[in-house]
Amino acid sequence: MAAITIDRVAVAYAEARVIEDLSFSIGDGQFFTLLGPSGCGKTTLLRALAGFLPVADGRILFGSTDVSRVPAHKRDVGMVFQDYALFPDKTVYDNVAYGLRARRIPEAEIRTRVGEHLERVGLSAFPDRPPAELSGGQRQRVALARALVIRPTLLLMDEPLSNLDAKLRVQVRETISGLQREAGITTVFVTHDQEEALAMSDRIGLMKRGKLEQVGPPAEIYRQPVSSYVADFVGGANILPVELTAPLSSGGTRGLMLGAAVIDATVPSALPAGKAFVIARPEDIAITEAAAGKTAIISRQYLGGVTHYRVGLGQELSVAVALHGPGHDRLEVGRMVSLAFDPVKTLVVAE
Amino acid sequence: MIAARSRLDIWFWLTSALLGALALFLLYPILTVLSTSFTHKGGASGWAIFLSDPKYPAALFNTVLLGLAVTFFSALIGVPLAYVAARFDFPGKALIAVLPLTTLVVPEVIAAQTWLMMLGNNGLLTRSLADLGVALPSFYGWFGLITVMTFIYYTYVYIGTLAAIRGFDVHLEEAAQGLGTSPALSRWKVMVPVIMPAVLASCLLVFTLVAGNFAVATILGHRVPLLSVMTYQTFVSESGGDPVMQSTLASVSIALVAAVLFLQRWIVSRKRHEIVMGRGAKPTALRGLPAAALALAAALIVLVSLLPLATVIVGAFTFARGPVMQWGRWTTLNMERVFLNSPDPIINTLIYAAAATLLSVLVSTLASYLIVKKRNVLTPTLDYLSMLPLALSGTVIGIGLVMSFNTGWLTLTGTGLIIIVAYVVRRLPFGVRNASATLYNTPNSIEEASISLGVPPVVSFFKVVLPVMLPSVIAAAILVWTTTVAELSASIVVYSGGRETMPIQIYRLIDSNLMAQASAYGLVLVATILIPIIIATTIFKIDLFASK
Repeated sequence: MAAITIDRVAVAYAEARVIEDLSFSIGDGQFFTLLGPSGCGKTTLLRALAGFLPVADGRILFGSTDVSRVPAHKRDVGMVFQDYALFPDKTVYDNVAYGLRARRIPEAEIRTRVGEHLERVGLSAFPDRPPAELSGGQRQRVALARALVIRPTLLLMDEPLSNLDAKLRVQVRETISGLQREAGITTVFVTHDQEEALAMSDRIGLMKRGKLEQVGPPAEIYRQPVSSYVADFVGGANILPVELTAPLSSGGTRGLMLGAAVIDATVPSALPAGKAFVIARPEDIAITEAAAGKTAIISRQYLGGVTHYRVGLGQELSVAVALHGPGHDRLEVGRMVSLAFDPVKTLVVAE
Repeated sequence: MIAARSRLDIWFWLTSALLGALALFLLYPILTVLSTSFTHKGGASGWAIFLSDPKYPAALFNTVLLGLAVTFFSALIGVPLAYVAARFDFPGKALIAVLPLTTLVVPEVIAAQTWLMMLGNNGLLTRSLADLGVALPSFYGWFGLITVMTFIYYTYVYIGTLAAIRGFDVHLEEAAQGLGTSPALSRWKVMVPVIMPAVLASCLLVFTLVAGNFAVATILGHRVPLLSVMTYQTFVSESGGDPVMQSTLASVSIALVAAVLFLQRWIVSRKRHEIVMGRGAKPTALRGLPAAALALAAALIVLVSLLPLATVIVGAFTFARGPVMQWGRWTTLNMERVFLNSPDPIINTLIYAAAATLLSVLVSTLASYLIVKKRNVLTPTLDYLSMLPLALSGTVIGIGLVMSFNTGWLTLTGTGLIIIVAYVVRRLPFGVRNASATLYNTPNSIEEASISLGVPPVVSFFKVVLPVMLPSVIAAAILVWTTTVAELSASIVVYSGGRETMPIQIYRLIDSNLMAQASAYGLVLVATILIPIIIATTIFKIDLFASK
């Protein structure tokens, strides 16, 4: 267990640098998620942390130890792979005991620790089964026990839930969160699923083309996205382009022309003149029925606890609005309404 | 990808070491052969002599002609048989399934020998038919060569075509019928173009095997000069060999086979998009006359293919006075002689083949691991080099080794080691292909999981990758063993007195017309091949052809 520091790190495949000049740190015992679309470099960074890829530049510190040149088998990391990577010729027990045996721990202690961890992941009933006889969720839990049992300095997880069906994913998600908190092991979790990231993480690092776009706790990423990219990737938002005629200084709210409407929005950080984006989450827009309203409901999707509406904004612009609470499905297509944007939660940001 | 790791790690050095060994035992001998063909003998280079003496081009012409003929007849039997096996059910169909095994179990030298025992000048059938007033053409020559080789090699066409027909999507055929074409015509128009590349590829494989064949060619080809036999004869000629001409003839055969292999690659690569994997058709159950006719035809082919096996068993226990077989008079004398008086060929075969199998499995496992999982700047070269022996007949490999290691700092001629090296080099492409197929299906992650759990890379390979590969490694080892104990063309070139293997001994006994004695060794040889296959498939439940 230790804090992790990534200090001006560059990682390259052959000659192409996938990651360049990346710096951030992860607190001791934190659950840190690298989030991003495929090809953004999150798995590359994870593999560099594991020692499977060399860092071309910069340093990786575990605590105060520089591990940049330490080979993978001496880094003391536990890794959980997307395809589970269980040893097919070994039983559940032998899979979990593998890392302890490599550390030459006495067989009696191995028995206790393996038993303990199989219990924690709920698999103490089948220590003698080969992986082929387990379900996907069970395999993933064996992989988790195998990585945790060695009490690694750092736990790495490479999209561990992507091969599971939706229901199981939520279940294993809870198992992982619980075990990680209990063990207090610093964890780096890679995923392209924003819901997973929001649900599990202490902090999220959102990546874009080898760079960190934003780092912060889930609520901050969701509430205060620094760019339209972050807002779009995390949670989904109405992203409406605006042309700024003059630079905007940070702080305070400004009125902006959007289609036929003027919208009040917060400016979290200073913006140059030119292209910018107004960001509004669907649940942060209120609809009021008004015969004199300027806009009309274009479409309606009833989803049970929530109804999604698309509402026109004039000049080919439209926004998505989500309504909860009693009567959320009462508005019909074609009804004239007026929209109210929450001036604090509606933001103006760069692309 | 673990590829981008530092360039000078242990895998790099292992690649270099393997490349060094291949350069020494494969590339250097071949280059020696090729370059010697350009040296001069009495003022003329080997190539000038080759072109000026008509007997050399004639041998090349005969080889090509034989190749075409055997390929044609192999396709004539193999393609219809595969079609029938894939599309119809009839009594006795299960028998056809044993066909691929017959080529594996009956060494070429035994096939040639047993056919001679039936149809040779003194053969059982020749004499019975002569008694009835039917005179058969001499079996030594085109008749014998084409018959024997066809019944050895048609199984390759059969296997290749069968796989293609089974993979052919029957919906395509149905679609054509739905568009208003008659069933027969739609089959012709839709299925034939799709399976054609696979059929052609297996035909070209047969051609290369015929071109490189030594065992059958030398036993039955007395009156038909062939390239492989002429190369061997030039090598063993009484004047102590003719380095220039043997190299020239070997180079011609390399060029011939290489040209055909390039053609094969071109066909396969050009037609790749047409290899549609789909749902194969369900076999139609046949009844009545068509079923009986098919069953009879298929049974006949299987029977003829198994004839060598039956003949060698009967022959081994038949009393013989010199070359005269006294059919119907049983004895164990032949077997006693093999085991009590001269067991050396058996012992030699077992030792050399065991060493070669072990070495071959080690080298090909390591080579394919490097090629598939540890790519670096050198591994593509390793990949190409390991496939090079496909273009080399056993005779060529043998001559190259003898010419390269006759004298100098590494003298192997006269040792058992040169036989082992020849075996390993010949089986290299098979072993590497086999192991690579398994490795492509093994994810990198299990190895990385082991490493991240604290086990060093090389140890991780032994602890987690090798166990996963093991079943296919064992299957490959058995197939290498079966083909190595039966090997003749390279070992007969490199062996020295006292180091005869069973195939060499059988060949010499056939040459002296001692068929009963040859049969006795033949039976032991077949047992040597069959026992490991039986143990592997029945006790260890290993599917020998899983990765083929």
